[in-house]
Amino acid sequence: MRKIYLSILAIVSWAMMSVAAVAIDVIVVSHGQANDPFWSVAKNGVDSACKDMKISCKYTAPGTFDMVEMAKLIDNAVSQKPKGIVITLPDAAALGKSVKAAIAAGIPVISMNSGSDDFASLGISAHVGQTEFEAGVGGGQKMKAAGGKKALCVNHEVGNVALDRRCAGFKKGFGGPVEILGTSNDVTEIEKAVAAKLGGVDTILTLGAGLSGEAALKALEAAGKVGKIRLGTFDMSPDMLKAAAAGKVEFLIDQQQYLQGYLPIAIFAQYIRWGTMPAGVVMTGPGFVTPDNASKVIKWAAQGYR
Amino acid sequence: MSTKSQSIDRKSQDERLRRVSKLKKLLNRPELGALGGSILVFIFFGIIAGDSGMFSAYGTLNFLEVSSNLGIIAIGAAMLMIGGEFDLSVGSMIGFAGICIAIPAIYWGWPLWSSILFAFSMAVLIGYANGILVVRTGLPSFIVTLAMLFILRGATLALTRLITGRTQVPGLRVLIENDPIAWIFSADVFSGLFVWLGSLGLIALRQDGTPLATGIPTSVIWWIGLTIFATWILMKTRYGNWIFASGGDKLGARNVGVPVARVKISLFIGTAVCATIYACVQVLDAGSADTMRGFLKELEAIVAAVVGGCLLTGGYGSAIGAAFGALIFGTVSMGIYYTDVDTDWFKVFLGAMMLIAVIFNNFVRRRVTENK
Amino acid sequence: MSTDTIVEFNNISKFFGSVIALKDVTMHVKKGEIMCLLGDNGAGKSTLIKTLSGVHKPNEGEIIVEGKKTTFDSPRDALDLGIATVYQDLALVSLMSVTRNFFMGREPMKGFGLFKVFDIEKANAVAAERMGQIGIDVRDPSQAVGTMSGGERQCLAISRAIYFGAKVLILDEPTSALGVHQASVVLKYIVKAASEGLGVILITHNVHHAYPVGDRFTILNRGKSMGTYSKKDLSREKLLSMMAGGEELNKLEVELKEMDRISKSNN
Repeated sequence: MRKIYLSILAIVSWAMMSVAAVAIDVIVVSHGQANDPFWSVAKNGVDSACKDMKISCKYTAPGTFDMVEMAKLIDNAVSQKPKGIVITLPDAAALGKSVKAAIAAGIPVISMNSGSDDFASLGISAHVGQTEFEAGVGGGQKMKAAGGKKALCVNHEVGNVALDRRCAGFKKGFGGPVEILGTSNDVTEIEKAVAAKLGGVDTILTLGAGLSGEAALKALEAAGKVGKIRLGTFDMSPDMLKAAAAGKVEFLIDQQQYLQGYLPIAIFAQYIRWGTMPAGVVMTGPGFVTPDNASKVIKWAAQGYR
Repeated sequence: MSTKSQSIDRKSQDERLRRVSKLKKLLNRPELGALGGSILVFIFFGIIAGDSGMFSAYGTLNFLEVSSNLGIIAIGAAMLMIGGEFDLSVGSMIGFAGICIAIPAIYWGWPLWSSILFAFSMAVLIGYANGILVVRTGLPSFIVTLAMLFILRGATLALTRLITGRTQVPGLRVLIENDPIAWIFSADVFSGLFVWLGSLGLIALRQDGTPLATGIPTSVIWWIGLTIFATWILMKTRYGNWIFASGGDKLGARNVGVPVARVKISLFIGTAVCATIYACVQVLDAGSADTMRGFLKELEAIVAAVVGGCLLTGGYGSAIGAAFGALIFGTVSMGIYYTDVDTDWFKVFLGAMMLIAVIFNNFVRRRVTENK
Repeated sequence: MSTDTIVEFNNISKFFGSVIALKDVTMHVKKGEIMCLLGDNGAGKSTLIKTLSGVHKPNEGEIIVEGKKTTFDSPRDALDLGIATVYQDLALVSLMSVTRNFFMGREPMKGFGLFKVFDIEKANAVAAERMGQIGIDVRDPSQAVGTMSGGERQCLAISRAIYFGAKVLILDEPTSALGVHQASVVLKYIVKAASEGLGVILITHNVHHAYPVGDRFTILNRGKSMGTYSKKDLSREKLLSMMAGGEELNKLEVELKEMDRISKSNN
């Protein structure tokens, strides 16, 4: 028995040594969950930038979309005294206190992906991302130009203010009636919800490609309405890109989340060295991926960079 | 002569016996497993994350706050578990209580203190409903409260969207300032102490000279207070004995005159009230209510209670143990972010800790009931 | 009716739908007397107990307690009149201490108003003393009941009933789960309790435990009483044969002898 105890103790000690903490230069606190392929691209951006810039980074996220837990993670990050913190800002009201505490502690904060309207008032130095409303407007205009009259906007993460804005912008750009359909983030449920609404629309916009975009496409294929109902989506996924290359999807709005992960790290690396910081919003989108340029993007997406 | 020395011998023997049994009594307490687990966890993180800032004043308050939030509902869960029942609707109650506080205050213009009182009265009603259903139907509380979990969560979502059109209700922070009740859930205590520590340079400062850690959050005070209150009830009152009896032998207890039904109903009201305290603290801290708050928290509360030494079948356990269980949970869930370990492993770690604590508790409990 | 009789159960019948569980059972218990209620499994003993202790209401017959006719609406009523029942599961929680079990439901209080607390010191002292009187040395009354042997637990349950004012003690199979030594400890305590003026109804299917301590014996067979006999009128063997259905055993013996003879003659 003693031998077993000793060997367990040895293994545990070795494991503990290997995970002992080192000082981190930049901590990223994002709301992006592991099960969404969108965020793995952003995380790749973070990791590439850290390697290129030769600084140490850590990417953290709460287990579920929980603003309270995310605020705690920001507080956590502050107590580790990094040289910079990168966050996403899906809910400025809930996260504001923790962000302000970070800034008051002398740690600069850059926001990415969400929060383009709120970042400045919290004292965040810069925002890297795509402004949601304008991107939505662009998408709406494109659909209107293609001849759309009645549309459906599928929101799979209700409570995320940025997504609310996408639908709102789309509504403005589209002009005609737009119904906002709120769903959970379960693929089967989204497909069923969309299928139920196919009767009354000629245009569908989804706010995420891998999750809701593909689910909507499946619903269209099952009902035989591909081409008859125009489908556009925010963000990208391999299957949606293939569908775009095949002409089944009007466009994908690419916010280029790789840059959202990469640029804040690069900005902080220069800030740490020379104190430079861009002012305002650094736009990473909207980039439109259409049937014309889809095949190239497909190659890069398969590698995890688009 | 000989008889005198004989009696002296016996007396000294008795004294020795008494001393040993005092130590044995300590070792036989249900809290031992959780206390040991807490010490182990602190040693673990002390070694691997000692310099990372986890144990700075700011970092410590951070994981204490998580622990205290869980601790508040763990106390309720522990007392109910000792009484022989489970409440799976606690998480949904947290969400529901949150919107009971937020919607009247923001949309109907009620003063914040009356919304808070409204939320507590809803808690009493819902707890009573849970209790009456369990007692009258004789169904396992697992099933009854599981149904209530769905009913409450659905009602929270449906009512919120109906009234507000969205799933979040922000804007509460401004209302806290002048409210007579809200401060007991949201203030920071002992802030003067922290300012003094900051001026001595013992804790980190912000750029304007004020300390980074502003004070002990009220959730910690609530946690400690509720633990003391629950322990007093369990150990020192007649009602506490009734709780143990109702969980240990429901039928037998009723036969000797314990009002088992009344005890169980009051315990369900207790868990609902604890959930509402949690909701008050969280809503006032975040400044907003959200329909998904508290999701799966009831399971965490049960874990904390079990790690703290409460028997799943009832009749045995301790509130102090549950408090330590919550401490372990909170320290681990925050501590893992200070290491290089991928946070996905958090659940593995948590499950392993749970298993170890429960096995240890089982060992202690067997010694209690099988040794003299 | 002598003034010694504490409780009379006259012509008790209990039906469950079409099943006749008890028919016309009569039993009287005097102060200081141990009445043994005997019968094989299925004879109706548990139904009779439940009727005597107030769980069931008899369909026919009357119950007279200390000269007054009464009905029990619940076990509480029986308890309040001093008829205490100790069931087989004892109503003891093995994880709780001796003291907490002893005073379960009837905890002594001290203090006042909202701050009334459970007077644990007094409770511990009383519990230790009462157990000591039975001859069980509980060194630490806050130890869990689970540490006690079966016989000690049985004595605890009986002692509790007596402390809280039982006049008639109904004991449901107190020795069934006990070994010989433990059983004798419990039986000695029952005798002591009776000698202090309690009436005891001892239910058992074990004649060897009942015969030494009983004063009178009522035998149940298939829901009917086969009569009440005092010890001087009944030998142990006669009692056993009445309980076990002596004629059936005799018949069986004859049949077996016959089968043996047939098989021998065929060889």
